[in-house]
Amino acid sequence: MNINRLIALSKSVQFGKILTSNARHATKEVTLPHRTIRTHARNLAYAKDLFLGKVNKAECFPYPEIGNEELEEINSFVAPVEKFFTEEVDSKRIDHEAKIPPETLNGLKELGLFGIQVPEEYGGLGLSNTMYARLGEIISLDGSIAVTLAAHQAIGLKGILIAGSEEQKAKYLPKLASGEHVAAFCLTEPGSGSDAASIQTKATLSEDRKTYLLNGSKIWISNGGFADLMTVFARTEVVGEDGVKKDKITAFIVERAFGGITSGKPEDKLGIRGSNTCEVSFDNCPVPVENVIGEVGGGFKVAMNILNSGRFSMGSAGSGMIKKLIEMTAEYAGSRKQFGKNLSEFGMIQEKFAVMAQNAFVMESMAYLTAGMMDRPGVPDCSLEAAMVKVFSSEGGWICVSEALQVLGGLGYTKNYPYERYLRDCRILLIFEGTNEILRMYIALTGMQYAGKILTGKIKEMKKGNVGVAFEMLGRKLGDALGRKVDLGLTGMDGVVHPGLATIVEEQLILKRVADVLINLYAMTAVLSRSSRSISIGLRNHDHEVLLANTFCTDAFFKNNYWLTQLQRNSPENQDENIKKIAREVLEKRTYVCSHPLDRTF
Amino acid sequence: MNCARCLLRLQSVGFLAPSVRAAVQHAALLQPATALSQITAHNTCGQALRRFHGSPGCYKSQPVPTDPGEEHEDRIKKDKSLITHDDLFERVAREAKTKATFNRVVDVFSKRDIRRRGHVEFIYAALKKMPEFGVERDLTVYNKLLDVFPKEVFVPRNFIQRMFNHYPRQQECGVQLLEQMENYGIMPNVESKVLIVQIFGDKSHPMRKYQRIMYWFPKFKHANPFPVPLQLPEDPVDLARLSLNRIANDLDAKVTVYQMPCTDISESGEEITFPHVVGIQSPDQMELLAKHNPNRPVFVEGPFPLWLRKICVYYYILRADPLPPEEKVEESYDPERCFDYPLQLDLDLDRDMGDDDSFDVEDVDEGPVFAMCMTSQGDQATLNQWISGLQETNPTLGRVPTLFRLEAGPRELQGVADPGPGYREEGEEEAETDIVVEEEHQCSQGVKQ
Repeated sequence: MNINRLIALSKSVQFGKILTSNARHATKEVTLPHRTIRTHARNLAYAKDLFLGKVNKAECFPYPEIGNEELEEINSFVAPVEKFFTEEVDSKRIDHEAKIPPETLNGLKELGLFGIQVPEEYGGLGLSNTMYARLGEIISLDGSIAVTLAAHQAIGLKGILIAGSEEQKAKYLPKLASGEHVAAFCLTEPGSGSDAASIQTKATLSEDRKTYLLNGSKIWISNGGFADLMTVFARTEVVGEDGVKKDKITAFIVERAFGGITSGKPEDKLGIRGSNTCEVSFDNCPVPVENVIGEVGGGFKVAMNILNSGRFSMGSAGSGMIKKLIEMTAEYAGSRKQFGKNLSEFGMIQEKFAVMAQNAFVMESMAYLTAGMMDRPGVPDCSLEAAMVKVFSSEGGWICVSEALQVLGGLGYTKNYPYERYLRDCRILLIFEGTNEILRMYIALTGMQYAGKILTGKIKEMKKGNVGVAFEMLGRKLGDALGRKVDLGLTGMDGVVHPGLATIVEEQLILKRVADVLINLYAMTAVLSRSSRSISIGLRNHDHEVLLANTFCTDAFFKNNYWLTQLQRNSPENQDENIKKIAREVLEKRTYVCSHPLDRTF
Repeated sequence: MNCARCLLRLQSVGFLAPSVRAAVQHAALLQPATALSQITAHNTCGQALRRFHGSPGCYKSQPVPTDPGEEHEDRIKKDKSLITHDDLFERVAREAKTKATFNRVVDVFSKRDIRRRGHVEFIYAALKKMPEFGVERDLTVYNKLLDVFPKEVFVPRNFIQRMFNHYPRQQECGVQLLEQMENYGIMPNVESKVLIVQIFGDKSHPMRKYQRIMYWFPKFKHANPFPVPLQLPEDPVDLARLSLNRIANDLDAKVTVYQMPCTDISESGEEITFPHVVGIQSPDQMELLAKHNPNRPVFVEGPFPLWLRKICVYYYILRADPLPPEEKVEESYDPERCFDYPLQLDLDLDRDMGDDDSFDVEDVDEGPVFAMCMTSQGDQATLNQWISGLQETNPTLGRVPTLFRLEAGPRELQGVADPGPGYREEGEEEAETDIVVEEEHQCSQGVKQ
């Protein structure tokens, strides 16, 4: 990976930003790269190319749009759902009783919200990712419902949808789409979060080779208390190519009706209290062989695909929540008087609204850009983008909810207002569907893997005597030299990663920064793309969008520069060694190390 | 260091004394009274300066004579006083050597004479006797001793006195007292400071010494990251617990008492003492042991000494040889290990010209240590108990051949002098040598399957 290119990119995005501020220039800039018609399936997406220092403008510009019919269709869906959520969902009660009332669930089923992405032939709504994101904006107004629905369709039944056979789809999807059956996703175990090797649940083939017997227990299963259908991951013995027996993960569709399944007591949680989370244990649960999703031993890929595809909607969900919060707090800030002035006249309060608006704007832009990219024909791999959206929006959401609560001061802290509930509900976003720490690792390492492979390939060709590659490298070097770049010390000869970079997996602090830079770059791209489109087609209040885009991009540009400086060798901004040392000393003692300030030695 | 100082002192005595003596003789002929006093003052000044750079500990018994006439008398007086003070302590010591009796002696001395004649000698004698009475670490006793000095007499009153050494012998004695405190690690308190100011004034040598102690002591107080408690537990099991935790330095490690020390009477009427067996093992060590190849033996080795202040305890370890390189299994990278991110970058990097091929030689391969134990009786039978106790939590150990490689240990020493099972005092080492030789022959090398 070439960090130099990141800076270049950071600068070019900044440059683009300046252009967009001028509408006339911007239209030119944006309309220039025409999307060429592709004949081959695209398997590359924008974010991975950023690691190579390439801005794949064709992927992001112009901002994806949906057709008029689709827009009408989605609006016809949105209106009743919005009505339902404002009039019939009592979030306070759900939170208080830690249960979603059955009539609410029935309402959701009637609206078809249990099968948003299930194809119409199986009785679902068959909506695209973009439309799913749009509905997510409204569903997110109640955290418990959002999580219940997400556990059902974003991960619970996704396995069947992605990798299931026709028979499995025909058998299960109609009931799942109608909400007659609720699905759950069972991967996490007491000893296994992201570590596939420590999954203990075992599936053993019976003697007649017709059923598997499942044994083991899974924890933190959303909907685990009442789900009728579960996607369960368990180890199975597989004979490998070399004839050696190996344990591999396999995904199963397990009906509760199979027997041998017990659910534990629902967990008492901080937020999303209305959603049901509990332990599920399997005791000799018989699963017929035809219920294996994909092939035996292929569960790892299934799990990864499900997890990677479920994340993008969090951006729109977060923005939906913040938009609602802005409305609520703005009303308060406009009416509450202190010293004869409205709260809205105080600078520090204004700043909070700016932060909220900006965050909502960026999240929205990222979410719909990603959804749009995923909706394109072919099988675009947008997992990196989705992870970026998830990290950005979960953290932005947490900040915004906290700021909104702050506007109300002590009132926000009470249960009389919904802010504390939003704050509690929102906290889970940083944790589930892959914690933000893990996702940062994913973003940085997947990108580096991709870039590293291409660059090492180039180096090898050059060694073989391919002069063309050498010239290309030389040309780039020259460009770098002329275009005042900073040498970050991360790259070795010819801009290729250091041989020692194979151990970069262990350098989590560096990876975190790389991931943060990339997340910001993607966010800037999304914002620029969206506001350019708004200018071009003259959307209402597009000048406000330009303002938000400018502010965000400038901010992100400076942050990125700072992070990139931190990545330099021996930079004084880089405190990693100290940070690690502090942590090591604390962890060695497993306590706070310092003496008390009141202690004396004589 | 000390030796050099002594030499220096002797030299100066050798060179200085004759000349002084000659001068004094001349002066005495001319102007007996004034000259004598001048030279004495001069001489003491030179002496004291040198003394404060050297160790005052050496020559407190032999102050350099200031005058040939006085020399003899002085020695007699001093000797006498020393005898009397020592005697005072000796007499009291016949009853009991405690803090109370020590304090009584000091009180007796203080009350005997309002002028406190011979207090310097008394203090020197008292300092020497302190360890005997077991008060060498008692701050109040030191303060009481300081209190013996008469107050305000030695405080310089003008700049000349301040410039030259005022009452050097007394100051030196005060410094000596503080030095003894320092050597025993006792930090003076405010009371000591007040006393020193009262006795010697605020810019005197004892005051400087006090300030230096107060500067360095707090700085070094917590310098040791692994402090040994001042009071070590008496109970051998508790002591073993403490020392094992100290060796293991692992917060997860669990101490198990495999056998409490007890005595029992067998059928034949003999008294059998069961030694204590205390072991420690951490979860990591259990994991290592579980992975151990059962075909390779494990060794019980020991005893190894561990010093805790003045006590030496011995421990035994259960260990194995390091794996030979051909048996090492590189844990292969499983790309399907982590659901969320690649655990390893699969970059296919080659070595290139100019790459640094030097390797790290710091890692010396050492065999794993699986557990440690302490017992008062390090014979194979006792250690076997430990091993069988370990087998309960480490089932693999039952299948691994266990070799005992015990060296001559401290275990027979208990017959010689029994300071308590499991540990012994420092001074007993000479007495053991012959036993150790005998031990060497029967050095046990047994195999237990």
